Amino acid sequence: MTKAVTETDSAQAGTPALKLTGITKRFGSVTAVNNVSLEIRRNQVIGLIGENGAGKSTLLKILSGLYEPDAGVMEVHGSAVKFRRPQDAVAAGFGVVHQEQSLLTNLSVAENIAMNALSSKDNATRGGWYRWGQLNKEAEGILAKVGATVDPKAIVGDLSFVDRQMVEIARALRVDEMTGTPPIVILDEPTSVLERNETAILEREIAELKHVGSVIFVSHRLDEVRRICDRIIVMRSGEIVADRATEGVTEDELFQLMIGHAATAKKHDVQARQSGEALLDVSGLSAKGKFKDVSFALPPGHCLAIVGTIGSGREELVRALFGAEPFDSGTITYRGKRLQSWSAVQATRAGIGYVPAERKTEGMVGGLNGPDNMAIARTGKKFFVNPWRERKAGAGWFDTMDVRPRDTRLHLHRFSGGNQQKVVMAKWLKSETLQLLILDHPLRGLDPGAAETVNEKIRGARDGGTAVVLLADTLEEALEMGDTILVMRDGEITASFDLTVDTPTTLDLLEKMV
Amino acid sequence: MANLVTQQPPDKSVGAASPVAKHRRFELRSLGEVGALVVLIVVFAVLNPSTFLTIDNVRTILDQSATPLIVGVGATMVILMGSIDLSVEGLMGAAGMTFILTTANSRDSADLGAGSFALGILMGVVLGVLAGLIHTRLKVPTFIVTIGFWFIGLGIATVLFGTDTIPLLPDGGLKAWPNTVFLGLPFSFWLAVLIVAIGWVITRYTKLGRFTYAIGNNEDVARSNGISVNRIKVYVFAFAGACSGLAGILATMRLGAGSPTVGGGILFVTVAAVVIGGTALSGGKGGVLRTMLGVMILTVLNNGLILSGVSSSIQSGVSGAILIVAIIVAAWPLRSRLRITK
Amino acid sequence: MSDRIASDQSVPSEVFDPEAPDAVPAASVETPTADRHRRWRLIDLWATVGPLAVFIILFALVSILRPAFLGGGGLSIVATQCTAILLVALGQCLVLNVGSIDLSNAAIALFSAILLAKTIGPAGAGGLVLVVVLGAAIGALNGFLVSFFQVPSFALTLGTLGILQTASLIISDKTTVYAAKSGLLTPMFGSAIGGLVSAFWTAVIIAIVLWAMLRFTTLGQSMTAVGLNETGALFSGIRTRAMKIAAFMFSGLLASIAGIMIIAQAGSASSTGLGSDLLLPGITAAIVGGTAITGGITNPINVVFGALTVTLIPVGTAAIGIPSEAQSLVYGLVIIIAVALTISRKRVGVVK
Repeated sequence: MTKAVTETDSAQAGTPALKLTGITKRFGSVTAVNNVSLEIRRNQVIGLIGENGAGKSTLLKILSGLYEPDAGVMEVHGSAVKFRRPQDAVAAGFGVVHQEQSLLTNLSVAENIAMNALSSKDNATRGGWYRWGQLNKEAEGILAKVGATVDPKAIVGDLSFVDRQMVEIARALRVDEMTGTPPIVILDEPTSVLERNETAILEREIAELKHVGSVIFVSHRLDEVRRICDRIIVMRSGEIVADRATEGVTEDELFQLMIGHAATAKKHDVQARQSGEALLDVSGLSAKGKFKDVSFALPPGHCLAIVGTIGSGREELVRALFGAEPFDSGTITYRGKRLQSWSAVQATRAGIGYVPAERKTEGMVGGLNGPDNMAIARTGKKFFVNPWRERKAGAGWFDTMDVRPRDTRLHLHRFSGGNQQKVVMAKWLKSETLQLLILDHPLRGLDPGAAETVNEKIRGARDGGTAVVLLADTLEEALEMGDTILVMRDGEITASFDLTVDTPTTLDLLEKMV
Repeated sequence: MANLVTQQPPDKSVGAASPVAKHRRFELRSLGEVGALVVLIVVFAVLNPSTFLTIDNVRTILDQSATPLIVGVGATMVILMGSIDLSVEGLMGAAGMTFILTTANSRDSADLGAGSFALGILMGVVLGVLAGLIHTRLKVPTFIVTIGFWFIGLGIATVLFGTDTIPLLPDGGLKAWPNTVFLGLPFSFWLAVLIVAIGWVITRYTKLGRFTYAIGNNEDVARSNGISVNRIKVYVFAFAGACSGLAGILATMRLGAGSPTVGGGILFVTVAAVVIGGTALSGGKGGVLRTMLGVMILTVLNNGLILSGVSSSIQSGVSGAILIVAIIVAAWPLRSRLRITK
Repeated sequence: MSDRIASDQSVPSEVFDPEAPDAVPAASVETPTADRHRRWRLIDLWATVGPLAVFIILFALVSILRPAFLGGGGLSIVATQCTAILLVALGQCLVLNVGSIDLSNAAIALFSAILLAKTIGPAGAGGLVLVVVLGAAIGALNGFLVSFFQVPSFALTLGTLGILQTASLIISDKTTVYAAKSGLLTPMFGSAIGGLVSAFWTAVIIAIVLWAMLRFTTLGQSMTAVGLNETGALFSGIRTRAMKIAAFMFSGLLASIAGIMIIAQAGSASSTGLGSDLLLPGITAAIVGGTAITGGITNPINVVFGALTVTLIPVGTAAIGIPSEAQSLVYGLVIIIAVALTISRKRVGVVK
């Protein structure tokens, strides 16, 4: 700790490290963060939890200076602050460890730590010259402060994820050196890329950080949150619904708070679907580091919803089904044939469609217009293309899917997300040979109107005999659309619910997910 | 350059490899290249016992390696950023012509002495800076900008060459300097060693060098770490331009006459040497010492083949074939169906 | 990866996502303003007629400055000189269309010319067949290496370029190779339609065929998709590797035809003679003809005008009084300006 801290210590004992009053952030008609007020004291670890879409991410971005709030006041160590850029947050003492890696993997640990250092007269890199001895020594000091056992000379790319997180935290801690105020370290899902056994190291880390400043710990792993944090703040729909000391609260209570009122089971009319011969039979499927020993059977005309949090492996699983990613062991039997190597090209020809989560980079070809986007998934063997017929067919699908505007010449990247998604779906739905449709977060970023249309089409496809594998964004979506729900956690299936017989609630699902 | 225009997102699974294994793989690769050089030397020594290992031939090899070495230092830095510099031959020509017309020559009466060196290098720097600016400001991909400057440089050199008499260097003096022996080795080689040393110091000890590596690794992350990417890029192109300029001057001295195409064939050898030496075309990995190794391998190979009676027209073919093999070998461990290279 | 974005659910990107560089607020697309529509259509219009307009303007400029040019059959001379460049440019535009670059196609052309010069005497039409097949094969090999080994195309084709240069030097024995007179080729430059040599019209017909191929065949549409978004194309079931091989194969094939034209025109070939510097003009012609450097956008018919423009540049520069030595300079500037003007600055992420 620098000397400056002890001076302000006595002067500001009792002043919260961070105080938010009425922070609100809107995007168009959507209020992402609504009237949030909270207080964080020094030497406290606060856990921030909430479902996807609860507003955690936006709140963190406001704290790290990436967004400016539309209303509300932020006070750091008693003084009001306004962050216009990330540098302002750093200057105020915020060190953020984002989910995305911000380290340069081909440089050493010491270099990365020194990278953001504000220039000063006795800096190890002053004048543009690298004084390696000093650089390494300074890095060692910072790493020691957080108890990290990483070699400052090691190349970041060679480090394990745990060690990289340590380096990121050490970097975030650097703000202390630079500003003299006790840092507020924000950790955004730091454990999601770690194995369960590696998180113990990180937990120890965070316990160390407590001595140095305050920590905001965002995670979906409730057991970790309860172990590490002094207080837990629960967000839901952009608001804070609870702010409690860890001691008094149980995991069940936290679940309830995250989801809202009594977790209702969204019962939907699940007719016992014709359970014919399984179209897709997966047995013991594994991909190292991603998912393990996954088995299920999917008959036609059936919707299988898979739920899970970050790191559950469900995204990698469905991509392996489409042939977009490899798997190491296990078998996939599709239409009675065991698949050895599997590629996207083969999958398409065999009647499998895939609507990826990353629409812009994987789902669509933005530079083509709507009808062309639909046409490129060609399952026939025809060599010649009739652009007029394709244009007409495309226009027909524009009507069916209610794509707006009805402009068949406009390049797809000029459409809004919802309309783009409708076109991507049409690409597969129009194919007569479609037997299995895999949807990866299909409603992400869609407004309610578009989402409803998409869901309608999914149901229509299922009723028409197509098998559907759905990766839902929300549990409600899964309950509404699925005939069977698989819950995955850390790469394995933890539960399977057959909705013709079981009636799980969102709570039941959540329990198995975290 | 893995991508003509855009960069690939970093591979998330990479960090899982254990540090020890990675280190060993790295060393094995370097050993491979050093080993290749040793093998080459041995093979040619055996094939041509009386001509290959003579002191004269060694000096010839070192002299021949000087120009690609100098160009290679600048090219390495550009490639480390993930960009490419195809303009080297044009800049060499422009700088060479600037140099010879401003020093004592047979065509005109100018004689700026040391000033002509400065002017030649300056020509290279100016063209390099312009290329860097066009790339960073107008977002034109480096391979297009540098192809353009290849021909702009060539054009400037041709205009300077004009239709007058060929400018010649007077005998002795500058003309003989490159081959003059100093401490047993030709001056040209010492000059190259000096430039390599400068390049090494830059990449190892200065912000310019370290940030070059950072940009090559991931430009977005570099930017979010506070690096002024555009500024560094322009500096690097300026440095590469200076290297090309100096190489043009050296080549002109050796030739003893002004020629717009004094840099002919250098592009191949340089790009091949950089790749063979182990610097990745996608950026972020490698260095000037590795390029030196690559240059030596190619120079020894060419020299040996010529001594063995193979025609000199095979040079570009050999460089080309080795370049292809080297990039395939480099890309092999990264193979994945979803990987996009353009 | 998708994991990361999951926590961004609080920001429906449909409405407004500040992260998305080209997010279009829903309102403005649902009801496009007349302005936006007009601007978009204008860009569209320029893409279609731009290259033709540029050529006409340049031609007019030259004719005004050098009336003798127009009178002395200027257009016909341009067409003659343009043929080889056009063929090379057409091959290049197809490779650019899938997002790669072929630096070796000019070398393939020269190699084909030399090979043909040697074989047309003894083998007649067989020589033509050999050369064309070989050109396509070399191109396909380029494509195969690029797509299966995932190496950068500019580096690979640079290597191929070197190998072919050596091959050309060796089989030509470093001298000029003269082709035996062959009746097969004389009509190419010996006859004319509308004042322009048949060779030129042949190339134009090839351009039209390629245009049709891109528009009306699965092959063409798939190649374009690959150039626009290779991952998106792959996930739509397109054989992306095969498409790239096809593009390079076309490039090699068209280059060998260019080589045939060189022989037809000059009757001989050498490593330093006619056709030895087709690379840059070819690339320039493709770009001036509206081909996007990033891929997915090209129009072979416009490349015809691009080639005519590029061929006209030396004449144009001489007309304005720029010495012929400065020609390279002009080429260099033209290519940079052409790309700088046509590159879509907003959409490109990181430029390397």
